[in-house]
Amino acid sequence: MLHPANGGTHPAPARAGIGLRAPHYREVLSTRPAVGWLEVHSENFFGDGGQPLHYLEQVRAHYPLSLHGVGLSLGSTDELNREHLGKLKRLAEHIEPALVSEHLCWSSAGGRYLNDLLPLPYTEEALAVVSAHLRQAQDFLNRPILIENVSSYLQYSHSTIPEWEFVSQVAARSGCGILLDVNNIYVSAVNHGFDAEAYLESIPVAAVGEMHLAGFDSNGDCLIDTHGKPVSDAVWALYRHAVRRFGRVPTLIEWDTDIPPLAVLLEEAHKADAILQEENHAPTATAAA
Amino acid sequence: MLPLRQLQLDFSRALFDEMPTGLEDCVRGDALNAERRLAIYRNNVFSNLREALRAAYPVIERLVGTEFFDYAADRFIRRQASLSGDIEDYGMQFATFLAQFPAANALAYLPDTARLEWACHQVFYAAEHAPPALEKLAATPAEHFGQLRFQMHPASALLASDYPVHRIREVNQPEFEGDHGVDLSQGGVTLLVRRHHFQVEVEPLGAGEFAMLEALAAAHTVAEAFAQATQADPAFDLQLFLQRHLVAATLVDVSGDPPCH
Repeated sequence: MLHPANGGTHPAPARAGIGLRAPHYREVLSTRPAVGWLEVHSENFFGDGGQPLHYLEQVRAHYPLSLHGVGLSLGSTDELNREHLGKLKRLAEHIEPALVSEHLCWSSAGGRYLNDLLPLPYTEEALAVVSAHLRQAQDFLNRPILIENVSSYLQYSHSTIPEWEFVSQVAARSGCGILLDVNNIYVSAVNHGFDAEAYLESIPVAAVGEMHLAGFDSNGDCLIDTHGKPVSDAVWALYRHAVRRFGRVPTLIEWDTDIPPLAVLLEEAHKADAILQEENHAPTATAAA
Repeated sequence: MLPLRQLQLDFSRALFDEMPTGLEDCVRGDALNAERRLAIYRNNVFSNLREALRAAYPVIERLVGTEFFDYAADRFIRRQASLSGDIEDYGMQFATFLAQFPAANALAYLPDTARLEWACHQVFYAAEHAPPALEKLAATPAEHFGQLRFQMHPASALLASDYPVHRIREVNQPEFEGDHGVDLSQGGVTLLVRRHHFQVEVEPLGAGEFAMLEALAAAHTVAEAFAQATQADPAFDLQLFLQRHLVAATLVDVSGDPPCH
């Protein structure tokens, strides 16, 4: 199988990209900012036609694209939704993205969708369910996908596997790559009291095909992954650590609520690019030498 | 410990129905108890679905105000399951819900306004289609014309209402300037919703025109549809209708059984 970061015919450059959302479609097309690549939510383009798809086709002509899904519900005990998967395949064949990714979570039960990224218990049973669904999805799409660790606000008392081992095991069993969300690691580490750096150290270097950065909020009890703020200093520090370990990996700035002017996203992307330059001392190929 | 399937079903019930399940026993509660942790997810799930409704029904929100809209959305979300991982599919039944929602009784035009907004939502994302093959039409002998069937453009919809819902929608667009008054006594309307340069447009149709399109959309032949159109409007002009809706590509594919000899 191809390396997860090079799964497409047009690989994503090992630079920073930004999440492209509806308020910025026109500005990106008219100003063509200097950013390495763009990522969109796959489901926003599941329609049969119309303006969103029209914009995406134009954007694709100028930038490498990544399709990031939020609704495939790979961790559900429901069967994979063939209609959803079919729409993703249609979109991927049309757009030829550099990367296709989804979340390590579940979002439906008994056919009812909760339309949110819900946490799995880290058990052998869940590992088997999500790995089998990932294999089915990759076979159907005929390409590797990246799976993203999610932020969580609860832990199950019957979990038997640490999250970082669960993520690594899913990749090993299904052949998928890992989309390492550094902000999510930080949020969950604070919420559950684990060591974020130790988490990074236990993720297999070769599996990581993309990283995510975003901002979080606090509700007083928990850190909440809102994607509505600049990346925090603590997450930038953790990202430096991640780049030292994983090398130059395509890195995305995600912003989904209270979306700021495009210039703010580009500024965040430049910060990530600078860190990719500065910390890239350990080429992954010679890490064992 | 719960098997994963039971855990997921319980989780869903705990969020939507606020029923006690076995789930709380499976959630680690230290500084924050299980119920408060689940409440974070309940808040996220409801917020996601509510925002999807808000995006699809901006006119309803302007008509009833944000507070009432959020209340109605909350009741709707509890009653109506989302059946798709694409959240933009959520909310089709909101009009039916509003029609039965006692708190909205005073606004009789609300359900039809919601139906119009959902039609606009669907037309916005519908497929493109090539214009009709006029040469095929021109080659049809006049005596066979009545047996033709037309397909409507995928990015189009028809809607009839007892209220001037197109006007209600128009004056509640954020960029609308002018008289915001709507005369509810002006009576019912028959509407065509369609897409032009990627923008959704709502156009009032005459009774005959609407009847003709409705019949064609239901796969009736031109002759059958024409009969219904003239019943709705004795002055219905088929020639004018065809010119207008073929040029505008409201009607696209044309088909007809080959005539028997």
